[in-house]
Amino acid sequence: MISARNISKVFNAGRPNEFTALHGVSLDVQLHETTVLKGPSGSGKTTLLSLIGCMARPTTGRIFLNEREITSLPERFLTEVRRSTFGFIFQQFNLIKGISALENVMAPAYPTGEKFSLLRRRAMETLEMFDLGKRADARIEWLSGGEAQRVAIARALIHNPAIIIADEPTTHLDTRLSHEFMDIMGDLKARGTTIILASHDPLVYGSDLVDRVVEMRDGQVVDGESAL
Amino acid sequence: MILDPGILALLVSSLLISLMSLYASGWSIRILRRWDLASGSELQLALERRTYLISTIVSYFLAFQLVSLFLFIQTADSISHLFVGAMCAVGTLTVSSFGYPTLLLKIVTFILAGLWLILNHADNQGYDYPLIKAKYLLLLIMAPFILAETVVQGAYFLGLRPDIITSCCGSLFSQNSHKITSEILAAPSAPMEIVFYSSMFITFAAGARLFVQGKGGYFFASMSGIAFLTSIVSVISFISLYFYEMPSHHCPFCILQKEYGYAGYPLYILMLSGTVTGLGVGLLQQFSKEKSLAETIPALQRKLAAVSLTAFFLFTVIVTCQILFSNFKLEGY
Amino acid sequence: MTRMIERQRHIMDFTLAALLRRKGKNGALLSVYTLLVFILASILFFTHALKHEAALVLNEAPEIIVQRTMTGRYQTIPVAWSDRIRQINGVISVHPRLWGYKYDKDFLANYTMMVPAGNPPEPGSIDIGSGISRMRGANRGDIIAFAGHDGQPRSFTIRNIFDSESQLVTSDLILLSEKDYRDFSGIPEDQSTDLALQVRNPREYATIAEKISRMYPDSRPIVRTEIQRTYDALFGWRSGLMIVIFAAVALAFVIFAWDKATGLSAEEQKEIGILKAVGWETSDIMLMKFWEGSIISLTAFLLGTILAYAHVFFTSAALFAPVIKGWSTLYPTFRLTPFIDFGQVATLFFLTVVPYTVTTIIPSWRAATIDPDTVMR
Repeated sequence: MISARNISKVFNAGRPNEFTALHGVSLDVQLHETTVLKGPSGSGKTTLLSLIGCMARPTTGRIFLNEREITSLPERFLTEVRRSTFGFIFQQFNLIKGISALENVMAPAYPTGEKFSLLRRRAMETLEMFDLGKRADARIEWLSGGEAQRVAIARALIHNPAIIIADEPTTHLDTRLSHEFMDIMGDLKARGTTIILASHDPLVYGSDLVDRVVEMRDGQVVDGESAL
Repeated sequence: MILDPGILALLVSSLLISLMSLYASGWSIRILRRWDLASGSELQLALERRTYLISTIVSYFLAFQLVSLFLFIQTADSISHLFVGAMCAVGTLTVSSFGYPTLLLKIVTFILAGLWLILNHADNQGYDYPLIKAKYLLLLIMAPFILAETVVQGAYFLGLRPDIITSCCGSLFSQNSHKITSEILAAPSAPMEIVFYSSMFITFAAGARLFVQGKGGYFFASMSGIAFLTSIVSVISFISLYFYEMPSHHCPFCILQKEYGYAGYPLYILMLSGTVTGLGVGLLQQFSKEKSLAETIPALQRKLAAVSLTAFFLFTVIVTCQILFSNFKLEGY
Repeated sequence: MTRMIERQRHIMDFTLAALLRRKGKNGALLSVYTLLVFILASILFFTHALKHEAALVLNEAPEIIVQRTMTGRYQTIPVAWSDRIRQINGVISVHPRLWGYKYDKDFLANYTMMVPAGNPPEPGSIDIGSGISRMRGANRGDIIAFAGHDGQPRSFTIRNIFDSESQLVTSDLILLSEKDYRDFSGIPEDQSTDLALQVRNPREYATIAEKISRMYPDSRPIVRTEIQRTYDALFGWRSGLMIVIFAAVALAFVIFAWDKATGLSAEEQKEIGILKAVGWETSDIMLMKFWEGSIISLTAFLLGTILAYAHVFFTSAALFAPVIKGWSTLYPTFRLTPFIDFGQVATLFFLTVVPYTVTTIIPSWRAATIDPDTVMR
């Protein structure tokens, strides 16, 4: 279980452009479930996702991952936790241009020092899972939207994460690709992966897949069975 | 001063290094005063990020300092004939009283930087920055030495006046104004050989004990310090003789020259790395009680001891081979 | 251990690919960097080679030379002095020497003319250096003419052309007999250019020199080691001066490098953000930046050094030899003996790689500490 306790996040503290993205949010996310954070842009969904995903540390409050407090860990340990636990899918795929699909999938694992041949085989297997085996050596610029999306998902899976975090994954997708995305999420869920999504797309939060919807507004949780 | 390219290079680099170390010290003070791991404030995040910068700076410093140490000796050697009576680096260094202090400061700062990096490495293994205060205190101790080195080195080079021909007559008559001692006072050779081999033997024994039983960190560290000092004295006293194959040439610098196959470089690098890692073992012993490092420190100490022992061992092997296979025999000197 | 090496390898590979992806920017940096190393290395190699040549010359020079001055200016010395000087204890031998320079208007060249101590050519014949032979197109057995002190040409048969280890020394040299030289230069029978002394013990140099100047107050004894010191200080000083001037160029480079390092393109910034988001840590990015700097520095360093080596030793530093060689430009061309040591390479390293590295440390660190969540914002 992931528990966030009374977390706040302030950007540019003490400066004129000080901005509080989250106000004392508490939230529990059950493992093996699919949770959607829903709310308009600027409601703090993305900030909350990045805190849960160990990308940043909250200004105040604590976050526990399976009983382990991760809030005060130094960056290098936080990265370690992030790498081994989470897989990220971003709004704009965020693939690295100029290198191949395969290299994009492998890139997250470079710092771990895994043997190159092993890593390459794993990355190939992941790509093949998404029927991308033939496109492995194609550069990112040459891929279609659907292919790029699947490469981005494959990259998120390279460390076999227990939790997948996706931020507005369907914003730039047409309906067909959005459905395809949710189908893939369905497959992952069936394999026991925890999925946390941030979205204001009805196609996402209305999906059968979703166990729980948390509604956010102005940096606070306003609804969604989350009152603790 | 002498406008030699080597001198310029040394002055420029030490100036740059001093600036970097001043910058790092500024942040050290801030880290020592404002560090609060429990806080998620932006200041704390910024300080944590600075630690990456500072450890990078010190790593570069270590590398540069090693090169600068040898370049300093090399430059001193190459300008030695500018001074009446100077035959090699020894003569140049004795031209002014700042010569040897500069060399000493270079060695000290190199060792300190090495120890700092060992401490930093250990600290990075702990999830709560257990050594942060010690680390930045050590950095603050190191900074004055680095600055002193820059100043002393500057004073040394700026004060050098070559004995050259003037328009009216030769420099002959200035010759008697100063006399350079080109010979180094050497400890008697035969007893020193015994001291050298016994100190190496005790160091190996202490290292083996630490490696196998994990005991005696301080003892091993002090022994490697002693081994360092005896090695230097031994190089001057008898090791150099076997390289030069001359009974009275005790110079510790000439073995860095081509004529002697650059033998000095491996010898001194081994000596320095053995000492830094050996002393590192003792430094870490100090912090072995830290909870978050309870497991990593003994493992790290073993690794360091292994490196240190290998270095001293290779040093001893090279020296012994030279003694055995050199045409020179010490008997009678 | 293997993991650590693999990590280094992966990140290095990735960095290399990233560098190649941004050819334009990195190419510009690399060329400026290489040019800088090239210029600096050329200065260093060239002056060092000159020093080396000078040392070769001096190795064969007499231990003490006695000149005569009049009103502070150089004068020919009476041959008779050598008899009294020979009486001084410790002096093995005294040789009056005859030598001088000859400017050839037609070929704009400066020759060194000299009467050798042993095996001088027959009157009417000469030995010449390879530089003169090349320039005048003269070979063994040819007859060659030079105008003497009175303007009248004198012709000589070439007996030999020499080519020795140090071309700087022999390239412009003409050896001839004493009789021809006196006729050619107009030096009277009882005078010579200077006296060359051989001394048994180096420790006695100073005493002997002192005795000579007491014996002949207008004499000027010069000890060999002093000449060497003076040459060295002069060459060292010249190259040092060039480097100081050059420092301005280097500063411009540092600013350029700083600009390149801080001016991360939006794409590069995004790339680092992505890497951090998907699991790279600050120190991984720093490692990447370290490799980036090392690859650029190493390439520029090697390239610049090799180019400078070719420039100095194959083309005789065609680009700036006149500046360094200075006061008496040696017209006939000559080749320098290749000579490089650790000190030069380390000096070069400290004057180029170290400033570059120091310049890029802070910008790289800034790039490496981009928040991983920037890609989500």
